[in-house]
Amino acid sequence: MASVEIRNLRKSYATTHVIKDVSIDVDDGQFVVLVGPSGCGKSTLLRMIAGLETISGGEVQIDGAVMNAVPPKERDIAMVFQNYALYPHMTVAENMGFSLKLKKVSKAEIRAKVERAADILSLSHLLDRRPKQLSGGQRQRVAMGRAIVRDPKVFLFDEPLSNLDAKLRVQMRTEIKALHQRLGSTMVYVTHDQIEALTMADKIVLMNDGRVEQMGPPLELYDRPANLFVASFIGSPSMNFFDGTIENGAFRTTSGVVLPLAQIPSGAEGRPLVYGIRPEHLQLGGAGGVAVEVAVIEPAGSETQLYGKLGTDDLVGVFRERLSARPGESVTVTPSSEQVHLFDKATGNRL
Amino acid sequence: MTEVPSRNAGGHGQAEKPVRLSGEPFAWRHLLYLAPGLALYALFCLWPVIQTIQFSFHRWDGITDARWVGLRNYIQVFTSAQTLTVFGNGLIMIIFYAVLPVLIGLLIVAIMTRIRIRLLSVFRTVLFLPQILATVVVAVAWRWIYAYDGPINALLSAVGLGSLSRAWLGDFDTALISVGLIGTWINFGLCMVLFIGGAQKIDTQLYEAARLDGAGPFQEFMAVTLPGLRGEISIALVLTVTNALRNFDIVWNTTSGGPGTSTLVPSYLIYEGAFITRNVGFAAAASVVLTVLILVLTGVITRLMRSED
Repeated sequence: MASVEIRNLRKSYATTHVIKDVSIDVDDGQFVVLVGPSGCGKSTLLRMIAGLETISGGEVQIDGAVMNAVPPKERDIAMVFQNYALYPHMTVAENMGFSLKLKKVSKAEIRAKVERAADILSLSHLLDRRPKQLSGGQRQRVAMGRAIVRDPKVFLFDEPLSNLDAKLRVQMRTEIKALHQRLGSTMVYVTHDQIEALTMADKIVLMNDGRVEQMGPPLELYDRPANLFVASFIGSPSMNFFDGTIENGAFRTTSGVVLPLAQIPSGAEGRPLVYGIRPEHLQLGGAGGVAVEVAVIEPAGSETQLYGKLGTDDLVGVFRERLSARPGESVTVTPSSEQVHLFDKATGNRL
Repeated sequence: MTEVPSRNAGGHGQAEKPVRLSGEPFAWRHLLYLAPGLALYALFCLWPVIQTIQFSFHRWDGITDARWVGLRNYIQVFTSAQTLTVFGNGLIMIIFYAVLPVLIGLLIVAIMTRIRIRLLSVFRTVLFLPQILATVVVAVAWRWIYAYDGPINALLSAVGLGSLSRAWLGDFDTALISVGLIGTWINFGLCMVLFIGGAQKIDTQLYEAARLDGAGPFQEFMAVTLPGLRGEISIALVLTVTNALRNFDIVWNTTSGGPGTSTLVPSYLIYEGAFITRNVGFAAAASVVLTVLILVLTGVITRLMRSED
């Protein structure tokens, strides 16, 4: 186990800058998830930690030692790839023990370590099979097993669940989290799926366009998004945004709808703002509610999603109650004023 | 036997009956569709093969009546010192036509997977060029290169190794190797193109995984590149081994089997038997042995290289 410190890291290809002055601290034993949209630089950052990409500027430290010029095999890290990257001609046991074999570890020790990892991952009955004879989930487990047998300082995961179907993804998500709790290892995990990030991470690093937009515990990003990008990326369905201004102690959208506010930040009055409210922070009915014209109702069993219009703006609501309104009808919804987020329209930053 | 429910069997209103996909009436109709192709194949391929096998049991000069001699031609093939030497030369050719080109091709691919080669397509085209040149042109060019007053000897003289100069294709010690190296030059481009194509299909994450596992260049090659090219190596070996054993045009255009019999190869022996010495039965028996040898070798190669993953 080890800590990872990333200091002012930069990566450029000719004139294209893909990582722009990124600094992140990963504590010993922490599960950090790098999340962001495609092309935001999260995989490049992970590969720079692994040593698979050169560093244009800044530093990567593992356990206090600068790794910039250290080759991947000497960084004492293990990586789980998106496509599993299992050697097709080797059995599961050979795949898992390959790195130890290269280190000239004794056969008995390799067998013991492979069996221990296989036991942790319920792979014991598959050790003699080849990757082609395994399902996607099993291959993923072998890839993790290969990482475990090395007992590395840091585990790196590059979108490991992307190739699995939805059900298996949820199952493997839980398994990886349980594995982290069991091993207590330092893990850096890349995903584009914000649900994966929220459910697995001790700390989320949300990236966009090569920069860190916000980092912190999952619920901090959910409860107090630093800017419009974080607010729109974290949470599903995405947060509702309404442009407008604060007038006479209330928020008035550009289409003239008045929305409630619990408190007004100083200096907010009179300037263009964005009012953000999550779909799950809307309630049906209530005094001081606003009328929403229903476009689509999506019942999902435990909850109902409503897509409609608030004035001229789109609105999404998620309710525990079941809704029977038809398209075109009007329902009253009330934003929970305690859960409102206000952003500066010009900078996109939270007020 | 597979049975599938037909889509409108029996028309509307009738219970659908299963229709056999294979069965007596259909099988005959299928054969009818195959008949034109089969007839051409039989006429131009199977019939000559059958005739060759038939000739191999006869003594025949190609003009007078053939005389049945049983296995005598085969006994001659397997007991004649010259014939055995010639087949031995054919097997030596495999080293030059198949083994060396495959090894060179693998070496180039191994380098290519570690270092990004600029102008790869130009490089690939130039190295593939020998494959598309007419072998007569290749042979004439190499005859000149190997000539006593050719560039190889000139180069040797220039670096002070003039004592090694010789007529490379006329020397008993070097003629077979010299002819073989022409085959290496022709075939390694083919192997390289096949292997580069195969290597480009290998998932780059496998190389990265190997690097993280601590593999050096050689271990990475053994763990990723070589197993990944199993299919391509098999194809390359089948093509080049067949080329080696069928080799005729290069020998014909460079040494005509000489000096003595030092570069005589099975195909040349068969040609001589059939058209020069008029010993058609012996040539036919040698052809059958050569065909069986090619089939056995290519069969062994495909079996050994069959992917197990």
